[in-house]
Amino acid sequence: MWKFTVRRIFVMIPQVILLSVIIFILAKMMPGDALSGLIDPNIDPATIEAKREALGLNNPWYVQYWDWIKNAVQGDLGQSFQFKMPVSEIIGQRLTNTFWLALLTLIITYLIAIPLGITSGRFNDTWGDRLITGYTYVGFGMPLFIFALVMLWIFGFKLGWFPSGGSVKPGLDPGSFEYIVSKFKHMLLPALSAALIATVGTVQYLRSEIIDIKQKDFIQTARAKGASESRVYNRHILRNSLLPIAAFFGYEITGLIGGSIFIENIFSYPGIGQLFLGSINIRDYTVVTSCVLLFGIAAILGSLLSDIILSIVDPRIRIK
Amino acid sequence: MEIETSKNPLLLSKVEEPAKTPSGWRIIWRELVRDKVALLSLIFLVLITAFVYGISLFLDQEEIVTVDLFAIHQPPSADFWLGTDYGGRDIFGQLIIGTRNSLSIGILVTVMTGLIGIIFGMVSGYFGGAVDNIMMRIVDFFMILPFLMIVIVFVAIVPKYSILSFSLIMTAFLWMGKARLIRSKTLQERELDYVQASKTLGSSNFRILFTQVLPNLSSIIIVAMTLNLAANIGLESGLSFLGFGFPESTPSLGTLVSYARNPQTLQDRWWIWVPASLLILVLMLSINNVGQALKRATDARQRRG
Amino acid sequence: MSFLEVTDLKVHFPVKGGLFGRTVGHIKAVDGVSLSIEKGKTYGLVGESGSGKTTTGRAIIGLNNITSGKITFEGRDITNIRKVSKDIRKDVQMIFQDPYSSLNTKKRVIDIVAEPIRNYEKLTKAEETKRVQELMEQVGLSPESIYKYPHEFSGGQRQRIGIARAIALKPKLIIADEPVSALDVSVQAQVLNFMQDIQKELGLTYLFISHDLGVIKHMCDRIGIMYKGRYVEEGSPADIFNNPQHIYTKRLVAAIPDINPRNRAEHIKFRQEVRSEYEKSYDKYFNSEGLAYMLQPVSESHLVALPEKG
Repeated sequence: MWKFTVRRIFVMIPQVILLSVIIFILAKMMPGDALSGLIDPNIDPATIEAKREALGLNNPWYVQYWDWIKNAVQGDLGQSFQFKMPVSEIIGQRLTNTFWLALLTLIITYLIAIPLGITSGRFNDTWGDRLITGYTYVGFGMPLFIFALVMLWIFGFKLGWFPSGGSVKPGLDPGSFEYIVSKFKHMLLPALSAALIATVGTVQYLRSEIIDIKQKDFIQTARAKGASESRVYNRHILRNSLLPIAAFFGYEITGLIGGSIFIENIFSYPGIGQLFLGSINIRDYTVVTSCVLLFGIAAILGSLLSDIILSIVDPRIRIK
Repeated sequence: MEIETSKNPLLLSKVEEPAKTPSGWRIIWRELVRDKVALLSLIFLVLITAFVYGISLFLDQEEIVTVDLFAIHQPPSADFWLGTDYGGRDIFGQLIIGTRNSLSIGILVTVMTGLIGIIFGMVSGYFGGAVDNIMMRIVDFFMILPFLMIVIVFVAIVPKYSILSFSLIMTAFLWMGKARLIRSKTLQERELDYVQASKTLGSSNFRILFTQVLPNLSSIIIVAMTLNLAANIGLESGLSFLGFGFPESTPSLGTLVSYARNPQTLQDRWWIWVPASLLILVLMLSINNVGQALKRATDARQRRG
Repeated sequence: MSFLEVTDLKVHFPVKGGLFGRTVGHIKAVDGVSLSIEKGKTYGLVGESGSGKTTTGRAIIGLNNITSGKITFEGRDITNIRKVSKDIRKDVQMIFQDPYSSLNTKKRVIDIVAEPIRNYEKLTKAEETKRVQELMEQVGLSPESIYKYPHEFSGGQRQRIGIARAIALKPKLIIADEPVSALDVSVQAQVLNFMQDIQKELGLTYLFISHDLGVIKHMCDRIGIMYKGRYVEEGSPADIFNNPQHIYTKRLVAAIPDINPRNRAEHIKFRQEVRSEYEKSYDKYFNSEGLAYMLQPVSESHLVALPEKG
């Protein structure tokens, strides 16, 4: 177990370094630099040049890269010219919003996936299964952004059950009970929309996995020994099919990141995804690179976590 | 390739009877015919492709994307079958051209990622060892990148942005899945005796890969590419929806849906975004139907017939 | 100088392990095998699965990397056969065990049989077709069936296609790796007899690899018995079957079923005797690692792996 973990972490280190290099190159390719946002265009070129020198922008690329990494590790990601404040502060605010939204999405995803998957797999080819299969069939082909728009249209506007934008009702006291309830209400529709689509893969996986295991010899043996049907399911089938799912949530992070860009955009939810799109539209590149770095590392950590959990759950992986 | 076995009796030794199994294309065709939904989907796809490519020959893209301030936000009428958008542009025309553009880029990206994935995966899986190790680490790394964000950044900073550069950017970050799939299949194939036999018969590695192994991968490649086509159309329209897909002057299905980000359009002007949304959904479902039928045809355990 | 000479062949596979996948040990699949084959004869290599007999055959034709040792063919060094000139390479061909996986299912018979011809000779389409048809006739299949796919043939017919492919270049040596063990028993004899016919016709030399002593007895002029990568005994069929010296060989021979039911009781008794002898004298025949000793001559043609005397 520890051997696999150590090896897996060794694989991760070059990934993080490569990611940072790529982001650095992207940042260098972007028009303008850290100064374009800071300085009044009326200041004379000599002063700008002096400033550039002072900020190290004339240094060779590897020195600049090293400075950037050093600062990033210490939490200094530079200045946003749009907000006129440190990027780390802006990201900090937005990150909490995105984090809670992602968490709620994950919870709803599993809350839907597990009962539907089990029902569908255990009672396959019944009407219930057909209904669930129909849902996953449509959900598999449905792009997230269209589904989210339809949800917003129906539940946000037509029925007015949920607020149609923002993360909290303005004017509430942070920390108060109403504040938390309002936050939750704002998150619910976006999270539900994302989860209803994200859950499809897990339901399909669970269904085929259960149907597959049902016919395996060791299940027949358990039945032949006289184990009750519920015991067969709880002790043998679910144990084998649910554990991998528990590990998948790390991989889901990549999907959640992509999803958050659409979801936050459509529901005007002030998270990282929305910050990213907004910043790229007004070319606030320090913010953009920080967002990519953050989400990139989140995805790497997610897959690390999933791989490790999987290796605990499934001993075959460890041997490799 | 169909062979008439009945007309051409084989000279058999007395004890042995040949085992007849139908050839690949016939299995695929039989599976499609048996699966009515997939067959209908295929017919629908062929018709809609012929329709949008045919009609768009007679449509003037310039004229359709030209702003007409006297016809802003008109509901469907005899002049504008599906009304007009905020620039007074005909939705129906944009729908046709958008479908064509979305299909074209979907196919282009699918083919390009397919080619890269096939070559990368086959080389990695066939040679194995250190080559495989390095190539798979590259794949792992690309896999872990936050796809949507990286693509959006590239789209934003690439100078002289065009449809070609858009499809190249998408391709650059979408080939890895296929490379992995093809690699694992090649790993299995190279252990089979026909590959070993080819080696003893003096065929070069290159020749073995492309004339012996590749034909055996064809069915999974077709299935994977079909399912990918649907995904790529979804991705393209998603990116266009966010404003990082096709350039403004080139309508796509996603561009039409993106008008719904305006709450007023979302609530009151369904004709702008609902047809495009439905079309995306139906296209993706149909392509998936065909893909699933193909998948069943290539997997003997799942075959219906 | 014999026709094919293998000297002290070793094929070791590395075992990866540890934190960084370093090589932590070796599996000695073939560990010091020497053999020589006379022209036009059939040499049988026998052993249980995992004994290294297939690896030996595959190493000779270049499908496994050789760790050390030397192989000469007609006096020329072919240890690195993938690197030697084409003229020599085409003289050594192989027949594979599994007639299903050894023929590419996506290829027509003509493409399968013509593959070696295309690699070594420049023929026109018509000449090529004619050659393939001749070959098909030679192996007893209809020349019209060259446009069919492998799945339209039975196992025995497929193995004939494999043989047609192997003899297409008129080779001198054929390595036959369990050529009939995947076939129905009823078809096995047919294919074996056919292989003998074609051997006479083309003057072929066979290295015949099998786990089936009955088949080996039927086919071979000389027999080598392998166990855990090493030889335990080598000799003529008479030496091996009538006068086995090594305890492993004795057990193998004792395991051949006797079809006469009247001998059953006697046969069982014989087997039990051999078994108790095996258990008693195991240490005498195998070293501390359970491997065989070096071969010692016991007669002019007969070699047995025994501990060195003294």
